[in-house]
Amino acid sequence: MRSWPEKMAVVGESTKRVDTPAKVTGEARYASDVQPNGWLYGMIFRSRWPAARVTRVNVEKARKMPGIKAAIVEREGERTVRFYGEELAAVAGVSKQACLDALRAIEIDATPLPFVVKEETAKSPDSPRVWPDTPNLADPNIREKGDVDKAFASAAAVVEGFFTTPVQLHHPLETHGNTISVTNDGVTCWASTQGIFSVREGLASYLDMSQEKVRVITDYMGGGFGSKFGPGPHGGLAARLSQAAGAPVKLMLTRFDQALAVGNRPSSFQKIRLGADAEGKLVAFDMDSFGTAGIGAGAASAGGGGGAGFPAPYIYTVPNIRVKQAVVAINAGQSCAFRAPGHPIASFGMESIMDELAVKLKMDPVDLRVKNDPGKIRQREYALGAERFGWKQKYKPPGSSPGPVKVGVGCAGATWGGGGRGSHAEAQINPDGSVEVRCGTQDLGTGSRTMVGVVAAEVFGLKPEQITIRIGDTLYPPSGASGGSTTAASVCPAIFDTCTNALQKLQQTTGVADARGANWVAACKKLGVNPLTAHGEWQEGLSSSGVGGVQFAEVEVDTETGFVKVRKVLCVQDCGLVVNKLTTETLINGGVIMGLGYALYEERVMDPTTGLVLNPNFETYKLPNFADVPDIEVVLMEMPERGVIGVGEPCTIPTASAIANAVANALGVRVPSLPITPARVLAALGKAVKPGGSV
Amino acid sequence: MNPFQYTSPRAADSAVSLVADHGRFFAGGIDVLGEMKEYIASPHVLVNVKDLAGTRDITPGKPWTIGANVTIAEIQDHPELKRVFPGLQQAAAEVGSPQIRNVATVGGNLAQHSRCWYYRHRDIQCLKRGGSTCYAREGENKYHSLFTGNPCISPVVSNLAIALAALDAKVIVRRGKDEVALTIPELYAKAWDNPEAHNSLGPTDLILRVQIADEGRTSVYKQISEKASFDWALVSCAAAAKVDGHKLSKVRVVLGAVSPVPYQVQAAHEFLEGKEVNDDLAAHAAEIVLKDAVPLDHNGYKVPIARALIRRTLNQLVG
Repeated sequence: MRSWPEKMAVVGESTKRVDTPAKVTGEARYASDVQPNGWLYGMIFRSRWPAARVTRVNVEKARKMPGIKAAIVEREGERTVRFYGEELAAVAGVSKQACLDALRAIEIDATPLPFVVKEETAKSPDSPRVWPDTPNLADPNIREKGDVDKAFASAAAVVEGFFTTPVQLHHPLETHGNTISVTNDGVTCWASTQGIFSVREGLASYLDMSQEKVRVITDYMGGGFGSKFGPGPHGGLAARLSQAAGAPVKLMLTRFDQALAVGNRPSSFQKIRLGADAEGKLVAFDMDSFGTAGIGAGAASAGGGGGAGFPAPYIYTVPNIRVKQAVVAINAGQSCAFRAPGHPIASFGMESIMDELAVKLKMDPVDLRVKNDPGKIRQREYALGAERFGWKQKYKPPGSSPGPVKVGVGCAGATWGGGGRGSHAEAQINPDGSVEVRCGTQDLGTGSRTMVGVVAAEVFGLKPEQITIRIGDTLYPPSGASGGSTTAASVCPAIFDTCTNALQKLQQTTGVADARGANWVAACKKLGVNPLTAHGEWQEGLSSSGVGGVQFAEVEVDTETGFVKVRKVLCVQDCGLVVNKLTTETLINGGVIMGLGYALYEERVMDPTTGLVLNPNFETYKLPNFADVPDIEVVLMEMPERGVIGVGEPCTIPTASAIANAVANALGVRVPSLPITPARVLAALGKAVKPGGSV
Repeated sequence: MNPFQYTSPRAADSAVSLVADHGRFFAGGIDVLGEMKEYIASPHVLVNVKDLAGTRDITPGKPWTIGANVTIAEIQDHPELKRVFPGLQQAAAEVGSPQIRNVATVGGNLAQHSRCWYYRHRDIQCLKRGGSTCYAREGENKYHSLFTGNPCISPVVSNLAIALAALDAKVIVRRGKDEVALTIPELYAKAWDNPEAHNSLGPTDLILRVQIADEGRTSVYKQISEKASFDWALVSCAAAAKVDGHKLSKVRVVLGAVSPVPYQVQAAHEFLEGKEVNDDLAAHAAEIVLKDAVPLDHNGYKVPIARALIRRTLNQLVG
């Protein structure tokens, strides 16, 4: 079993990203930047109906439009479309405008069908059915433990609440898409993906082609967050367009498309009852919840389920539990994995009701959590965080801060896996001292490329910029998809093993006892003409799984206008062995900002009358801007003895819950629904005027 | 977008005659290009009006004139204007993002079309686009009007219009062979009655400049949005008055984003005239302004925001 050295020079320090110059100069080439000879634009024709029987899709006119080189139907024959945005056809042409014009020349015969896009309507037995043979509301999953009713009957305090979370859309700044060249010799796909090997598998199977003929390249990519594992419907269509046109096709989705059909985080409607004894020890938990995954879960669901179920009662131990969870289908794009699938939803309901209980028991919310949270690490994190945040000084009874702009604080905890396995790598040491390290992983923008360089540099006694890092290509040794916060814990051990093997081989071959650092160039020179290569893979002992993390938020809420400003978020995150402090902290900043969006701004809005997504753009699907981002303080609780653990997901889980609890603490009433908009704050305060109400 | 011709006349005469052939005027392009890309508008010709003489300057005087092609950023950054018409500068500072303010123009800001998410959706033919139904009325109307005289409930979203209404500005419009001076209420009056209208401008009417008399009044503009920056106002409010101690005269209070026109109530102005402002008085004025509000399913929260903004702008006038 391998282990990390006691003392390390590069690992754990703050290393700037090795690809920063390429990114800021535009030299870095993303899937949409690649321009193979003769490439064409690709575009998708989508259903304009939320539900319809489509009897004919005719692309003949489109194919004859100027500049159009291919036009294909997604599926032959009659079909039923079940959401606005479902793929029906695609075109490839020499310009964007040529494709846009061709899309408008596609002829469709369709009969609109009844539809439903609101969860609460869809639940009703009278609602139009999304799938003809099954009711929209599936049979619930039920879990029971102990005697819930008896426990509630004897509980000293019982609180109830109804909490809702919206459908959150996947909006990575780089939209979904690929540039694909399909020829008789094989396929090259420049993909915006979290899994080059999963795209390879998907494309080979889609095209019924041997996998060794499919090469997938992801030099750089601009975020995936769970939605970019396989080639996607757009990848399949791009491949077929390339075949039909005999030319490479670049098919990147538009921002509008992103709102419809790339997957999303399911909604939730959670009715929760929680009981505790007089000392605040939880005794009973009862939940009845439902949520929608659109027409169903499963779009690119590798790396975590996209279903509407979620862990409950989340991180807490309760002896008597009854959990009833159901999924309800609606005519909308389906859900998929989304940064910590299930967890932010679970956290919001549970952490909200925990604070309600704390208020009822007149207990400090931190004390109540520590009392009921079995996580030893989180207990330490609460203590550390409370101290750093000034919790004891800042926490005041709900609604007690003076004046119209009220201040409040809140906290919440998280749990995640973050373990890894399965990565392979190879290193090539050249006689001139240059080193190439190759691994078939991909950098989602998190800094994985730099991490490879950091570990290699550590082993060889070099600097990260002296390592030539080659990743993002299926020609390199395989590594898993980047989901579930597994990349760091998979790749770093593989690189460490590989480079350790290479160093040993170099020392054996050259007879240099210690070839590292200052001895490096001289040792390599002794190789003569041929480079040396070595392989390695993920090994036990260098990584582990299981992280927590707690966050504290401080907000101010204008009780006259409902405007919420988040002043501060403190994140205490346990993280095993830190490989690169700088990118770990920026990763966590990103997680907190994403949680802020979930807390205050993001929500897919479906129109009940037309069945369309009303906010398919950044104008009305709101994301945080710099002006909205609070002071974020990251405290890393390092545990190097545990090895590398991924933290990309836990850091986004408790943010919205902590903010919601801070808002409730400020107001003295709870806003039970995300996002916490001025409209919802004013409604919670009883200030919003109802229709027909007097002003 | 559909194909179109592009032309850059040097004279207002030519601009007006060129636009007559199913054309649209083009300056910053922020609004019209968005409509064209969504196929909401498909003009045959875009008439670039940025080269028209005398439309790019801010000229202090009696009255001040602000050319139609002055950018929002130029208003925001003009130190003298900021001193004389602080409310206008504050309204400009809340428009879009720095990038948008750098290209968006005064004329375009005043003439911009509805931002209603039904109106702006490529696949929805709403009442404002010649369809038969205002979907927002029974649908998702959190961003919509509290006051309107017609079935469409999309509100005016121009920040500048709200501040300029409070300042009793005149908008000089080329109409046919004439130049006409419209008050801000006149510029938007048609949108109150007519669901298809965004304002009172005809297809060939061209905004040339804005005139504001410096009457020694001070002004304030405030808005509340869902985000801290780069977001539309949920409600905006501008107020202007001559201030003598705490006593107000020539008072104007105008609300934005709650009506298809900049919304003001004469009775509120009369109520405030000659009075000393305190919070109770301001709150009473707010009640007068909001008396006829008709909240729908999702926009009733705009009432307390409007109330707070009226109080705060009035208080700030004397503060």
